Amino acid sequence: MYYLRTTLQYLLTLLAALAANFFLPRLAPGDPINALLGADVVETMTEEQVAQVARELGIHDALHVQFWNYLTGIFTGDFGMSIKLGMPVWDALIQKLPWTLLLMGFALVISTVLGTVLGVMSAWKRGEIADIATMGGVLFVGSLPPFWLAMMLIILFSTTLGWLPSYGAYKVGTSFPSLNWFQGVGLRLIMPVLALAIVQTTSVLLIARSSMQMALDQDYIMFARAKGVSEGKIFFKHAFRNALLPLYTHTMMGLGALIGGSLIIETVFSYPGLGGLIVQGVNSRDYPLLQGLFVITTISIIAANFVTDLLYPLIDPRTRRAG
Amino acid sequence: MRRSLLRGASAVALALCLAAPSSAHDARLHANPEAGNGSPHTAAGILSTVNNQGPKTADSLTIGIWNTAANITTYTIGNSWNDWVLYLALDKLLEPSPYMSKGRSWLATEVVQVSEDARIWEAEIRQGVKWHDGTDMTAEDVVFTYNLYLNGPANRWTHHVSDVPRIETIELVSPTRVRFTAPRPMPNFDLVTAPELPIMQKKQWEGIEDPRTMTDPVIGTGPYKLVEYKADEFYRFEAHEEFWGGAPTVKELTLVMIKDPQTIFAALKSGEIDGAARALPPEMVAQWKDDPNIEIAQAPTLWGTWMQMNLNDPVFNNRDLRNTLSLAINPEEMVERVMLGRAQSGKHGWPHLDSTWTKPGLEVPFDAEAAKAGFETLGFVDANGDGYRDLPDGTPFDWRIVVSTNQPLYVRAAEVMVEQFDAVGIKTHVEAVDAATFNSLTTDGNYEFSISEITPHGLADQDQYMQFYSSPQMKTLLDSEPERLALYNEWWEADSRETRQDAHFKLQEYELKYPSRFMLWYPDGLFAYNWKAYDNYASSFGYGIFHKYSFLPEAGRIGTSDSIDQLIAE
Repeated sequence: MYYLRTTLQYLLTLLAALAANFFLPRLAPGDPINALLGADVVETMTEEQVAQVARELGIHDALHVQFWNYLTGIFTGDFGMSIKLGMPVWDALIQKLPWTLLLMGFALVISTVLGTVLGVMSAWKRGEIADIATMGGVLFVGSLPPFWLAMMLIILFSTTLGWLPSYGAYKVGTSFPSLNWFQGVGLRLIMPVLALAIVQTTSVLLIARSSMQMALDQDYIMFARAKGVSEGKIFFKHAFRNALLPLYTHTMMGLGALIGGSLIIETVFSYPGLGGLIVQGVNSRDYPLLQGLFVITTISIIAANFVTDLLYPLIDPRTRRAG
Repeated sequence: MRRSLLRGASAVALALCLAAPSSAHDARLHANPEAGNGSPHTAAGILSTVNNQGPKTADSLTIGIWNTAANITTYTIGNSWNDWVLYLALDKLLEPSPYMSKGRSWLATEVVQVSEDARIWEAEIRQGVKWHDGTDMTAEDVVFTYNLYLNGPANRWTHHVSDVPRIETIELVSPTRVRFTAPRPMPNFDLVTAPELPIMQKKQWEGIEDPRTMTDPVIGTGPYKLVEYKADEFYRFEAHEEFWGGAPTVKELTLVMIKDPQTIFAALKSGEIDGAARALPPEMVAQWKDDPNIEIAQAPTLWGTWMQMNLNDPVFNNRDLRNTLSLAINPEEMVERVMLGRAQSGKHGWPHLDSTWTKPGLEVPFDAEAAKAGFETLGFVDANGDGYRDLPDGTPFDWRIVVSTNQPLYVRAAEVMVEQFDAVGIKTHVEAVDAATFNSLTTDGNYEFSISEITPHGLADQDQYMQFYSSPQMKTLLDSEPERLALYNEWWEADSRETRQDAHFKLQEYELKYPSRFMLWYPDGLFAYNWKAYDNYASSFGYGIFHKYSFLPEAGRIGTSDSIDQLIAE
């Protein structure tokens, strides 16, 4: 019953999200013709000419017709043609998706591991200098605007030291799977991953510290200490395991958000991922492109939530009993 | 390591601090000899302290671009930022551009007026020109291209055939000669239309139902062949060995997309790219002037920044009010405060100060006192005592100046504009919105004022100037101002270059007095490149230094200015 109810809830959420994905971009002011031809050109076009372009772009149809085409397209895998890029939306998504997964994946792993380690250690050493220093340092770094952080990394590692390339995901002119190609990919991954990981580590650390503290404050920890259980065992077996649930949720949400990419970091580093594509889609009001992007982002987030929910009872038996 | 970190810290400090406003233009700069009206305003030359002499040829160059060139077709490039990318691969009948009042033979060996009334023109097509796929370019390709512009889907180029002028028939009169016939005179066909429209290969395009979705590498006759691209990531061009004008000076050109303005110049500084095809911010001239690797060039781009007003609003459909508003605007202050002196004042109006189509010597006076008197005469007085003028019927107003958030300079300009209007009792405020919303507001007429960029296409092209009158907003002016309409019609009926230029000059004078928009400034056109990689850039009106003529042998550069180094030598 728990699984059936959860499944139905997610199907409804998915339908609502798909509808929002279609209507929200159209509610925003602006239209793709301006972006495609330039406002100065559109300004001088006759109404008939503008209508002709709208017909060619498929945005002249009635809204319900466009919506129907969009829904049927999702189920047949046809997301339409990108207005700005002049190519199938699906092809554009497939081109960019691996880069986003690579970038966000590395950042997620690093920030999760680093944030968890620092967070639980900070909670373990609560009130001590190590805790205060960690919290102060991480909060300071975490409050830096991501674009500024990215620019500082570029100025230091590219402009000044000349160690790392500042833009792109691979060296143009090298071909997959040559050594040069992999080397180029690796070097170009360092700064964006670093910038993202620094930003994301803060939230992981705060969650880890908070949940570890809550666990450490429980009576069973006091009881374990009274029983003479070793500190190592208390740390790993009694406190850390019970502190994992919020971290698990946060990590799973992070997995779902992987697909969306990072709008700011990808833009600053000209990283060819989906985040940059969203920026382009929004700026050019490229409805088919935005729909495609939002659909896969929606599905990935809902899927991650769904899997998280399904796995909760396995990870924490208390939720199974509650359900 | 410690030293490196110190260097890093210095660089960070440098990046964070604002450079002091630059003084006037470098005294070493020379006037561009190609300026058709002999104007000395826009100069081309090197701004760096040392004018280095680097290599004149190169095996490969990597140039950063910031705005996608999409699939490099006339259907997916919609602006003048990147049309030069298209022109690397595609040629026109005459070149280099409609901005110079002189077209030189290119794919056509001659373009001549056939009828006395300038309605019929013929082009003799150059023989022996090869497409990138090795086949011959023929007159049929030209007929096909012009017909596609006339009857096919609209794009940024089509109105030069389908509207101003409207060509009726395009036909072959011999295997090598094409005839163009229009119902009305088109005395500037060889000056505007022929040097504007890129010629496409019939074989590649004739079977394509929806040209907007063509993703194959475009086949052209130009000096560079597109061999590989990923829209939004990079474009790789190789020299077209069979290019009729001689082998290009650079064998391989790679254009990489770097969208962020800071990153593109950081990449140039670090040597990752050899040139940045993006206007250098004025404050960076002082920072980079002494850089040993980077050379800063100034070249005329014919760009401009203007403030438009909503002519659909009945308030602004009053030429005396527009005249009075123009008196309240001080573009000189804009140049100093916003552009740090690296621009020409917009007081010369529209079109561009250095356009060959512009009547020399025109100037909008700045006279705040006269503006105040004008507002009083028009009934714009402070009726409610709040310190600001109200509409003649007593209604208070607070006009919006809309700007795009992706143009920080324009936000600044709007703030200065608010101050200038405030000084004459007009209440305005700035509204900064995202780029797409900005376009929508201005196209839909949902604004009072807007500040935006205008490209050479709209600022230095006589036919495009008249094309503006096809817009609903400009039509309202024709409907309500008989004097303007008479001049507009005079232009259309003029059947010689001279009479048309004369009509155009009169229209400019009228426009200056009763403006439909206010020019604020014309940026100097600043570009930076790594001179050690390649140092043979040429200056071309409307394009700056990044365009195909910078990569052509000397013979191919006729029609542009000489190379920038030669200008200095002179």
